[in-house]
Amino acid sequence: MKKLTVVLTILATLALVQCGPGPASPTAEPTEAPVVEEEEPPTEEPTEEPEPTEVPEQVLRIAFDASDLSTLDPHFAAATQDRAIVDMVFNGLIRYKPGDISQFEPDLAQAIPEPTMEDGQQVWVFALREGVMCHPWNGNEGYELTSEDVVYSLEKAANPDRSAYAGEYTGMTFEAPDDYTVRVVLDEPLSPALLLPKVTDYAGGFVVCKQAVEDLGDEAIKTHPVGTGPFRFDSYTPMENVTLAGNEQYFRGAPNLGRVEAHYIPDISSRELGVREGEIDLAEGLREQPWIEKMEGAEGVTVDVFGPGETVVLHMNQTVEPLDDVNVRQAIAHALAREDFLAFFGEDTADPLYSPVPVEFLAGGLTMEEVEEAGVLYPTDREGAQALLDEAGAESFSLTSNTSERASYRRTYEAIQDQLKQVGITLNLEVVDHSTMHSLIREDANPLIVYIAWRPNADVFLTRFYHSDSIVVTGENPDTNFSHYDQIDGLIEQARQETDPDAQAELWKDAQMQILEDAAAYPLFILKFVFGRAEYVDFGYDLQSTLALYPQITENTQVTR
Amino acid sequence: MWVTFKRNRTALVGVVLAVVVILLAILAPWISPHDPLKQNVYHRLKGPEPGHPLGVDDFGRDVLSRVLWGARTSLVVGSASVLVGLMVGTLLGIVAGFKGGRLEYVIMRAVDVLLSFPTLIMGLMVMAILGSGMTKLILAIGIVMSPRFARVAHGPTLSIREKEFVMAARATGADDLWILRHHILPNILGELLVMASLWMATAIRIEANLSFIGLGVSPPTPTWGNMIRDGVKWLTNAPYLSTFPGLAILITVMAFNMVGDGLRDVADPKLQV
Amino acid sequence: MLRAGEKAMIAYILRRMLVSVPILLVVLTLVFLLVRIAPGDPAVAALGDYASQEAVERMRQRMGLNKPLWMQYVDFLGQLARGDLGRSLINDVPVSQQIRRVLPYTLELTGSGIFVGLLFGIPLGIVTALRRNTLLDYAGRIFGLAGLSVPAFYLGILLMLLFAVELDLFPVVGGGELSDLRDNLHHLFLPALSLGLIMTAYITRMARSAMLEVLNADYMRTARAKGLQERVVLIRHGLRTALIPVVSVVGVYSIVLIGSSVMTEVVFSRPGVGKLMVGAMKQRDYTTLQSIMVIYASFVVIINLITDIAYGLIDPRIRYE
Repeated sequence: MKKLTVVLTILATLALVQCGPGPASPTAEPTEAPVVEEEEPPTEEPTEEPEPTEVPEQVLRIAFDASDLSTLDPHFAAATQDRAIVDMVFNGLIRYKPGDISQFEPDLAQAIPEPTMEDGQQVWVFALREGVMCHPWNGNEGYELTSEDVVYSLEKAANPDRSAYAGEYTGMTFEAPDDYTVRVVLDEPLSPALLLPKVTDYAGGFVVCKQAVEDLGDEAIKTHPVGTGPFRFDSYTPMENVTLAGNEQYFRGAPNLGRVEAHYIPDISSRELGVREGEIDLAEGLREQPWIEKMEGAEGVTVDVFGPGETVVLHMNQTVEPLDDVNVRQAIAHALAREDFLAFFGEDTADPLYSPVPVEFLAGGLTMEEVEEAGVLYPTDREGAQALLDEAGAESFSLTSNTSERASYRRTYEAIQDQLKQVGITLNLEVVDHSTMHSLIREDANPLIVYIAWRPNADVFLTRFYHSDSIVVTGENPDTNFSHYDQIDGLIEQARQETDPDAQAELWKDAQMQILEDAAAYPLFILKFVFGRAEYVDFGYDLQSTLALYPQITENTQVTR
Repeated sequence: MWVTFKRNRTALVGVVLAVVVILLAILAPWISPHDPLKQNVYHRLKGPEPGHPLGVDDFGRDVLSRVLWGARTSLVVGSASVLVGLMVGTLLGIVAGFKGGRLEYVIMRAVDVLLSFPTLIMGLMVMAILGSGMTKLILAIGIVMSPRFARVAHGPTLSIREKEFVMAARATGADDLWILRHHILPNILGELLVMASLWMATAIRIEANLSFIGLGVSPPTPTWGNMIRDGVKWLTNAPYLSTFPGLAILITVMAFNMVGDGLRDVADPKLQV
Repeated sequence: MLRAGEKAMIAYILRRMLVSVPILLVVLTLVFLLVRIAPGDPAVAALGDYASQEAVERMRQRMGLNKPLWMQYVDFLGQLARGDLGRSLINDVPVSQQIRRVLPYTLELTGSGIFVGLLFGIPLGIVTALRRNTLLDYAGRIFGLAGLSVPAFYLGILLMLLFAVELDLFPVVGGGELSDLRDNLHHLFLPALSLGLIMTAYITRMARSAMLEVLNADYMRTARAKGLQERVVLIRHGLRTALIPVVSVVGVYSIVLIGSSVMTEVVFSRPGVGKLMVGAMKQRDYTTLQSIMVIYASFVVIINLITDIAYGLIDPRIRYE
């Protein structure tokens, strides 16, 4: 029976190859931080008596809508999956109260300072907590965080070569008079509402550990972050997951969770099934009404819809023909129907947006009445749009944009595609991976850009999207000014320096009126965050709103299976 | 020959099904109850109901219309790519067989190598390079299938090359091109047609696969593959969004396979493709 | 002293192996060319039409496109010879490391697919051939056709719907831990089943037609005429001959299976070379893509080699070619 022998040999060969040397377990990867830790699983509560039997480790498994991470350097992280991990690994001088972005709390600092004036400069003095430990990494046991690290971190955040958020820190210097004091010195005074967000647990405010960054290098920290937060980086398996281990030395106490796994699962049905089948505990959901209703009806799971949400704005690149003609841009604004977007995404998740700065949450936003009065509401008017286009000599033309495959982007683009078709504009879509889209648009690849984002205040919104310094690729501090708009630099800077909050808000409103008149961008709607969750996950705080784009996981979060 | 074919019941069923699908595709613009691209965000995700026999998708578009128009795309891509493959492949095969020598060796070795490659992976790779879009899709699938046609064209060309009537033709001053057109092509046409029908089925399947991954035709054009992809996210509450296009693919591909099988049984039962 | 047959066998194996080398080289060259000679600039393809000149230049530098083509080719071959598959353009992790991590998952998936296919396909094919033109035969043929026609991802989705969603029996995400056998198999079941069903369809068809040919062959009639029992006839003469073409096409079908396994990995979010490739494609990660193509190419060449050798073992006439 020679053939049988042959068949069996082939199968055996295949089997042998599979059972071969198994470096398959992700914990063997060189990107992992070999850990200097005790044998026992971490105790659940700091005050708990050590039990005679081993307490099973609490593990939280999160699934993100992404194929892979982009970067875990907090001063570059922009996408949801990256911001989430960075949020768990790092702290800021102060932080937003977990679950409620309307309040600040001290984080690495002991208290939130009041600014003083010294020689015409505004000075903020932060007193640091003592005994905050940086996570161990690659053969280094970790060390105490001091003001040297904070200053290093802020300087890195202010450096356009080392941070995407550098534009926020112009005109600031940072000093460390002693180990536990940090002085932030501003050339121009800023109100607390504008300054404090720059040093919170968000974007440039995250504090990195100097020695780790210098030891590993800027490239390596993209996949191996070292911070002071409740969870420390454990391992990264490309295109699969990042695992974080509980940091027992966390200054607020060892976390309940022993481990957090962040999985990259770009397929919504896999994520959904994962939560329903108990393989995943928390998953990024679909920000649409039918999905919310579906999950709420399912057994053992529930849905968290929380704010503040993200603004969905259509930016139009004025350097691309025929978008260089304001009539064409206004026509596009008229062609788009806000009501349709709201109907599509659903009332639980979407609210209308009339100005780049959302009026519900932030000072300086414009209401519908204000916008209507000023004639920049751009109500849906397809005939009017067509007329404008004909007048501009652009009766029909086509453009190509790259869209992320993420549902919130893709469906917005598809809806826009459909609506523009009705006025003779053909929008071709290339669906790409989410991180790819983010890189492409920052390289100026799209003529029409849908951007979904939240920023802490009007100044940040306006500066990063509409100040000429932030123009993509060519700006001084290239950021997210996709429209190449440069008409309100003066207004933005004036508002920033204005100390009277009402006057400041007025200036912001003027700036946005200008944006709308020039149709540099067309605000569509605000989309809240939607996460599906197993009922046994308890965040440890009341989740109303968060800037971290995901339900923050803190030391108090627990999984009570 | 045709008698044998007619007796083969499976092949007949296949022909009937294939013809039905083709007719539906051609007539789609007239028989579709709705515009397949028309969105209606106020009426989404409903199952089969009056006015929408197959339901509505998550943009409020009629599923039946999209399935019908999807047939057009699938068939157009399927036939166009087979045509491309046929032309490119036959050209290569004939040139190789006719000219012989070094050229033949190089071409046929390359063909051998390409033949042994999984079509889907080659298709994926080519699409990754070219980008998405219908024309590129047709080109990609066509290129991927051409080695097979080259192989089929090569053999007979070799044998005919040496036949007496060819030598006679040469003696009377006929040039290569003439010989190719009048002697070689007619003789291999039969086998090529058999291949073409079999590979239609594969081309349609490859298109579905590529669209499912997101490398196929761009939105909002409906293809069965991307309808399944979009439908998967509603699998638990609206499974019909994926099931109907999936069935459509299954039936169509089966039909073409049945026809191909029948043709092959008639032409050469031992032909392994 | 080796017998003539054995000598010929060894010579045959060596010959096939030698021939594989230039074939592999040709394939690698094609992969290399494909990435670079495609219409347009690969750097622009990676970055998009509206990308700035500087960004494109930076990308070209990273991809090594500024060097003359022959130099890039030499670099490419040199790297491969050293086993260096380059680093991902996206996260800078060495590609060989990523592949090594996911390869076991892919191998066990394709392996089980082939195994299931053989396990069910051969008996099914034989039985339908024996019971030709009965209901069982028709059912078997429809099944064979359906398996041939159904796209692998659709079958995967259907199975997912049935087993995981409705019956809640199997997980739907991931590949499980390799070290934990039970977990591993639990995650392997549905994907392997979907590939296995397709493979079964292919093999059933093949086995059936091979068996039919054998049943009608002259020597079988002779054996029957001699009065030998049907069963004996079947086993001694028929089965062996029938299995020859089946074994020879296992190699071919395995290659088809590799394509289908890509789709299955995507549908089940299962780690594997296929899913890695699709991810690299979406992120325009050309280095990873190129290296994965090299892996597939090598795999294909190896499978062809094994098939050739197997065929040589079975059919002695081949050895002397």
